Amino acid sequence: MLRKIIFPIIILSLLSSCIELIDDITIHNDGTGTFKYSINLSSSRLKVNSILALDSLDGKKVPSMGEIKEKINSFTTALKSQNGLSNVRSEFDEANLILKLFVDFKTVGQLEQGIKNSIIAVSKEKSSYELNESWIAWDGKTLKRSVPLTAFKRSNELTSSDVDLLKTGTYTSISRFDRSIDRFENINSKLNPSKLACMLKVNTFDLRNNNKLIENSITLIPFKNK
Amino acid sequence: MKQAVLLPLLFLMIGSTLLAQQSESLIPKEAVTVFSLNNISLLQKISMDELITYDFMEEVHQELFDGSTNGKSLKDAGIDFGQRLNVFYGKNGDYEVTGFTIGVSDQKQLFEVFDDFEQLQSKYKDVSIYGSFFNNLILHEKSAILIRVEPSMELIDEQTDSIWYARGNGNPYGDVFYDEEILTEDIYSEEDTTIQKSEVFPEASDDPNEKNYYELRDSVQITLQNKLLEGILDDLFIKHLNLTTEDTRFKEQMSHTSEGTFYLDNSRNFEQAKGLSYFINVLPNLYQDIRELYTGNVILGDWFLKDNTIEFALEARYGEKLGSIYEELNDAKFDKNVIPYIHKDNSAFFTYNVNMRQAYEKAYEVIIPILSSEKNSDISMNVLTLELLNEFINKDALFGTYKGSMFGTFNGVKKIKTKKIEYYYDEETFEYGEKETEATEDMPIFTLGFSIDRNDIPELVLKHLSKLTSLFEQHEDYWKFNNAILDAAPLFMINRNGLFILTNDEDLALNHVNGYGKDALSKKTARSLKHDGFMNGFVDISGTLNRFPSDLLNQRQSDMVNALKGKSGKLYLKSTKTSKSSTNFLLTYSFVGEDKSGKHMLDLINTMYIFSK
Repeated sequence: MLRKIIFPIIILSLLSSCIELIDDITIHNDGTGTFKYSINLSSSRLKVNSILALDSLDGKKVPSMGEIKEKINSFTTALKSQNGLSNVRSEFDEANLILKLFVDFKTVGQLEQGIKNSIIAVSKEKSSYELNESWIAWDGKTLKRSVPLTAFKRSNELTSSDVDLLKTGTYTSISRFDRSIDRFENINSKLNPSKLACMLKVNTFDLRNNNKLIENSITLIPFKNK
Repeated sequence: MKQAVLLPLLFLMIGSTLLAQQSESLIPKEAVTVFSLNNISLLQKISMDELITYDFMEEVHQELFDGSTNGKSLKDAGIDFGQRLNVFYGKNGDYEVTGFTIGVSDQKQLFEVFDDFEQLQSKYKDVSIYGSFFNNLILHEKSAILIRVEPSMELIDEQTDSIWYARGNGNPYGDVFYDEEILTEDIYSEEDTTIQKSEVFPEASDDPNEKNYYELRDSVQITLQNKLLEGILDDLFIKHLNLTTEDTRFKEQMSHTSEGTFYLDNSRNFEQAKGLSYFINVLPNLYQDIRELYTGNVILGDWFLKDNTIEFALEARYGEKLGSIYEELNDAKFDKNVIPYIHKDNSAFFTYNVNMRQAYEKAYEVIIPILSSEKNSDISMNVLTLELLNEFINKDALFGTYKGSMFGTFNGVKKIKTKKIEYYYDEETFEYGEKETEATEDMPIFTLGFSIDRNDIPELVLKHLSKLTSLFEQHEDYWKFNNAILDAAPLFMINRNGLFILTNDEDLALNHVNGYGKDALSKKTARSLKHDGFMNGFVDISGTLNRFPSDLLNQRQSDMVNALKGKSGKLYLKSTKTSKSSTNFLLTYSFVGEDKSGKHMLDLINTMYIFSK
């Protein structure tokens, strides 16, 4: 997801040093919800800015800040036109290099499809294994999710010296619900005291080596009709 | 009896060797740059087996052998390593000429390697010509030249258009002169950049016997190539003109016994420089005057392999007028104020001493008369402006602020403090917020200092800037410009002791504002710097490169740095006194270890090759 837009930023951060990623999804009982995604490169400002100052790196063009902002805007615009998605907005803090995306959705299926369609809209890639893959599923009782960022899977293209720099980054996945969580499969997950939210934090280096680290299946207590 | 036979034979052999044509006699006079390896002495120290393992040799192998002679090397190429290997490049307004000349010991072996070449007809006595696509291999006596002549696109287009329109043809591109979409296409963001719009190319002719524009252009290109090559070969084999006969400086250079020589005729480079056509056509007298100014501008170099040392001796020669400016420019006393600011353990530093005021006065004296003699209203107005500025500007203040002398150091990579945004989580709700915290990042630390007499002027500027923005902070001993570097790191300015210093080294600004004291450069080094010419430089290769953050470099620079890493050498550059006719530079690379100097030199050449690839 967001590969064409965020991939250059991810690459910049992977080549420099630490990155902080948060994906935060809220699913209500009726299946609607909110998805928030945040990429924080502020701790690598110096290195990211120095890379942005280059024309190219490893034979690939380094995008300018203007080009990055343009891609973000194009993606946001494409996302706004997708069925079942509303209140779409993105915020890019250029000074601190923090990108945030906010989306309300009617169903998680529409969220997933909307994001895929938007990637296709802003990139030439019309089909790929990653785009066909499903990263989220919700049946009203169980939420199954994995990494909603295929760019991370692409990080396999990085050289070993670059990969070392991932070691200080974190990826945080938060899932929120209207009713209590009954159980979850990923043992590294943490429940909040009210059992309405589940958080999973992993190291980006470990995640790069094993995408399954962020996979989780969260089952809620049965829905009670009043 | 034996002596009676052997002695004349010996004299005959020595005589034939001395009189025989050498590879340098085949270097065309059009060559502007020549890089010559004196094979005899070089190969005494470097084995060919070692030589062919280098990246730059791989490329030569590919170029020469085109994959058709796998497993072979130059060693198997029938080359006479008793002669020099000369690589040359030349360019004029009409064409480029590139190639190399070598000695030949075994023609059969040579053509086992150059097996793509076919013999062509030769009109020259004792000269065999072979061709393969755009390359030609020409053998004469015991030497050979591999040459490629490429006419400029301007010349090809001009000739093609002339023939094309003379035949009554219209615009070969039709009405579509250019495709706006192609010009604006983002070549970077899209992977498939193939231009598929056939309408931008001329259509094939209806008559298969009549050439379309591009076919005609190909024919013109080949014809021009042949004609230009013929001109060069006529010079070489009929008129017996070559670079050694035409440039005594080059001939003299070829007589050196150094391991290698370098020749670059800057004056001819100037003549062929792009962008001068306006001067040539509109201001011919001015062009002629400037050309005269550059006459005699040539760089000659030798390198010598010694035990654990490689020396590059360069001599920059120039004409008297330009020399008079250089002489004034370099007539600067070493600014001893810089010594305390160079730490004795610095991985790299340079000092540069020039007298900008004297150079300005001399340049004014030399150039203004040239410009004034030009009968052109624009030039006259510019001369008037220059002369008025010369009268009105306070040169004492200007050159007191920027004297020209400077120094720079690389202090390695240090952790510097920056700010970052960190997320904090509410353990009850997992809601998160942002807070600003301190971060540390690696940064290469540089210092750049300028000699200055008028410290009050930058102080004046900085005081006003600090009123305009809070990014400028005045501290007791220095100024701090926050977020000046890449929007993240501060820049410190130290304005004292006859220097204006810019640095991102917080330690220097906070703790060594008057220099490093006893930790500064040794007195011995300082004495050496004072006695040398206008330029001095030092690089501890391992110390510098191992501390340099390679993730800030592009791929080529990174390759170069990696190729040099592990070397324990030190590079010193110094210039000697500048005269009206020349300035000499000496670059010394010294190292410790068991490696032979030749190997170290090849490592350096390999690095340069990777860098320039």
